Amino acid sequence: MTAWSFLGSKTLRKDSLAKVSGALKFTNDLEVPGMLIGRIFRSPYAFADVKRINKERAERLGAVVITPDDVPQKLYNPRLVSVHEVTFKDHQVLTKRPRFVGDPIAAVAASSEELAQRALELLEVEFENIRKPILDPFEAMSPDAPPIHERIMKGDKWVEVKNNVGAELTYSEGDVDEAFKKADVVIERFFKTGRRYHMQLEPKAVLCVPHTDGSITIYTTTQTIHNTRILVSQIFDLPESKVNVVKVPIGGSFGSSIQTNVIVPIAVALCLKARKPVKIALTREEDMYDHVGFSMHFRIKAGATKEGFLIGGEFENIIDIGAHQVQPYPLLGTSLGWFVSLYKWRNIRYVGRAVYTNKVPGCAIRGYGAPEVTWAVETIVDELAEELKIDPLEFRLRNYVGKGDIFWGQGPTVRSVIKSDGVPELLKEGSELIGWSSRGRPEDKKGRFRRGIGVGRGFHTSGAGGPISGEVIDYSGAVLKVNEDGSIDYITALQDHGGGTLDAHVKIIAEALGVPPELINVVWSDTSTTPYDVCTHASRGTYVGGAAALKAAEIVKQKIFEYAVRVLGRVVNPEALKIRYDRELKQAVIYVEGNPDLKITLKELATIAWQRNWGTIAAVVTHRATSAPPSFTVWFVEVEVDTYTGKVRPVRVVAGADIGTVINKDLAEGQLHGGFAMGWGMAVAEDTPYNPTTGELLCRGFITDYKIVTAQDMPKVEDFKVLFAETYEPTGPFGAKGLGEAASNPVAAAVANAIANAIGVRFYELPITPDKILKALKERGEWFE
Amino acid sequence: MKRVVRFKLNGEYVEAEVEPNELLINLLRDKLHLTGTKYVCGIGECGACTVLIDGKPVLSCITLAVDVNGKEVVTVEGVSKDGLTPVQEALMEEGAIQCGYCLPGFVVMGEYLLKERMEVSEEELREALRGNLCRCTGYVNIVKAFKKAFEKRGLKS
Repeated sequence: MTAWSFLGSKTLRKDSLAKVSGALKFTNDLEVPGMLIGRIFRSPYAFADVKRINKERAERLGAVVITPDDVPQKLYNPRLVSVHEVTFKDHQVLTKRPRFVGDPIAAVAASSEELAQRALELLEVEFENIRKPILDPFEAMSPDAPPIHERIMKGDKWVEVKNNVGAELTYSEGDVDEAFKKADVVIERFFKTGRRYHMQLEPKAVLCVPHTDGSITIYTTTQTIHNTRILVSQIFDLPESKVNVVKVPIGGSFGSSIQTNVIVPIAVALCLKARKPVKIALTREEDMYDHVGFSMHFRIKAGATKEGFLIGGEFENIIDIGAHQVQPYPLLGTSLGWFVSLYKWRNIRYVGRAVYTNKVPGCAIRGYGAPEVTWAVETIVDELAEELKIDPLEFRLRNYVGKGDIFWGQGPTVRSVIKSDGVPELLKEGSELIGWSSRGRPEDKKGRFRRGIGVGRGFHTSGAGGPISGEVIDYSGAVLKVNEDGSIDYITALQDHGGGTLDAHVKIIAEALGVPPELINVVWSDTSTTPYDVCTHASRGTYVGGAAALKAAEIVKQKIFEYAVRVLGRVVNPEALKIRYDRELKQAVIYVEGNPDLKITLKELATIAWQRNWGTIAAVVTHRATSAPPSFTVWFVEVEVDTYTGKVRPVRVVAGADIGTVINKDLAEGQLHGGFAMGWGMAVAEDTPYNPTTGELLCRGFITDYKIVTAQDMPKVEDFKVLFAETYEPTGPFGAKGLGEAASNPVAAAVANAIANAIGVRFYELPITPDKILKALKERGEWFE
Repeated sequence: MKRVVRFKLNGEYVEAEVEPNELLINLLRDKLHLTGTKYVCGIGECGACTVLIDGKPVLSCITLAVDVNGKEVVTVEGVSKDGLTPVQEALMEEGAIQCGYCLPGFVVMGEYLLKERMEVSEEELREALRGNLCRCTGYVNIVKAFKKAFEKRGLKS
């Protein structure tokens, strides 16, 4: 192992004091003089037409009101990640044809929240053609189902929507039918996942401030300030130089703000009309009517030989996207990517369809389909192994996609070769820690409380980079400058959702330049002062953003050496110079190995450069990663099923992660802890069912009926073990890979497999709630009064 | 009709005009500009808006502002007025900080628990914290931090 100066060392994260003291300002905490508060009129109907809007009474109250007639009519997709030609657009700033309960129709702004709410209640909106909502994607695809959208735009072209299929992707490799004929075992299963809600703690908010020169500044909850700027510029025909989006701390996201939130263009429209600052902060109920995750329906058919090798995989994927597209097209690609990159199917056939329903629009949720696909595949893999009487771990080792294999987790156009792989190590160590060999068979387990152990193995990509430019945009930027005292300002557009991404960047810069983290300032920047960064998504923050920071640090280092030669004398060959952290001086020192007299601190050098007018040492870079290596995770979970109540409890957890070099261990562990909590909720609790008549959420947006994991639902501290594989990713900054999504992807799979090991029942529909468990036990003749 | 409330807030006397139906969280955040107290659910489910009223944890999103008349209110800004609390320190040291949106609630709850509880088991601690939701951390490092803070005070946990 390399001896690092800073990587892997424990430090307090830079924002920790501001966070524990409540001093950190999130978007909803911001206020500016003369600010108006905006409220949105949302459709009470799931599928209807607006006949007439009377805004007189609301305006008489002094409110600024906007209706669909007051805003640009063009169609847009809130998420800019695919290249233009494959971006499907069906959103409008405000709509005359609401397609889900909650679709924004009009908006008001007034000097106080109370006044805005009163104005909202004075809006008279008349509806017609109120239709029965279509809530099932299969019903939506039937030939007699009414179209939710008749036409949408794909890039610049209009396309007709047929059978409510908003986007489609097919793919095949080899001959699957032939493979199934040759297979000794073939299993076919139908899976359905819940439609989860992100439940990021911060409800979405936006503040838009106008300036005298016609420009605007936007503060908002977002994972991507640059895409927010580009989209606003496109919708309102403003040059990008007139739209500045400021990076504001975000209170968790998990994909919920991967897109430009629809409240942003609404606030911009209000602001442009009022010529005053406008803030919109959603209530929790509005937030749940703003976005949820996608629910997915799979048909998977898998074949294997008696020697224990997979030879064919067929995958049909129907995604319930809700009423609008927030980029389900790339999800069709990644779903396939997760499928083919988990195991070597050898022959593949895939069809994926993104289907409209009259539900809250689905957007990416941590893992972007990987938790769902991994759950289904890991279930089938377990079943195949059982059928073939091969240990499920051995079966996985024989068939998984690992080192040296071609990998395209982010879809068919993003391919690279795997160079680091900790899977064998994690499977071995994890299985020993959990006691895999003594997990027993479900048929031998009796009594009320039954325990079971399950495994879930998976990965996530580190970004969506690749050797060629595919359908996905993925690059980052960084600005680094050495100040006049040798301290450093680091400027990046990249957002930190709370995982500590920017603290990882700081350590990468510190390691490269020998400057201690406390002397590196992360600037809260904006779009006007930073190079483009696509978004913090796809677990790319450390791998791609960190590599951009490193690239800038390397350029800065060369400039430091050029200046150092001027001071140390022309006898020094610049190539012989090195820089390191001096523990005694607590700063960076530039030196020549073996020549103790030839050295200077960075502080001294920077001061000399300033005093002698040499100029600022700085670098501006943009970085495109040429691969998106998988971070592998292997989860072992022990559960206890109460066969009287159907409740499941996590008893012990072993989380294994291969993330290359571990930059901040405690924060990386925190990702795995949180990843478990989210995956556990997905496995046993979380879904957003609808009222079939009205198309409203049954929970109406209240979290009283959308339970997430509490402190009481987690295993004890000592029963949660975390392992990191000893790997080094040669393409990553100092050997590092991503983690955020890999940390959660295989959790639901491990939990489901553990439940199967406890009670001998496999569930093909998530979440596995107590009623489903009791029903299954009852069907088997087990019933406790 | 507006009412006047007078109360002690983070050690100082304040006076404010409020509507009879105005919530404490709105008084604190919108009028007194103490934005450390966070709005998350608005229905008393998540604990992010927890403040202390006369030393007891109360959810400010379901408490009327008029109810604090004559009482003593402490928000997250108030608990660390004289330096960091053991819970705040431990949260920082134990890697328990992610997005931070839930933390003010945990910090205020921690202040209460440390003052009120003698000794708690991990189970009791988890029970006491079950009303504070966090979506990032899975509570592992938060519980670790609370245990550490209790130990620092010479209390077993």
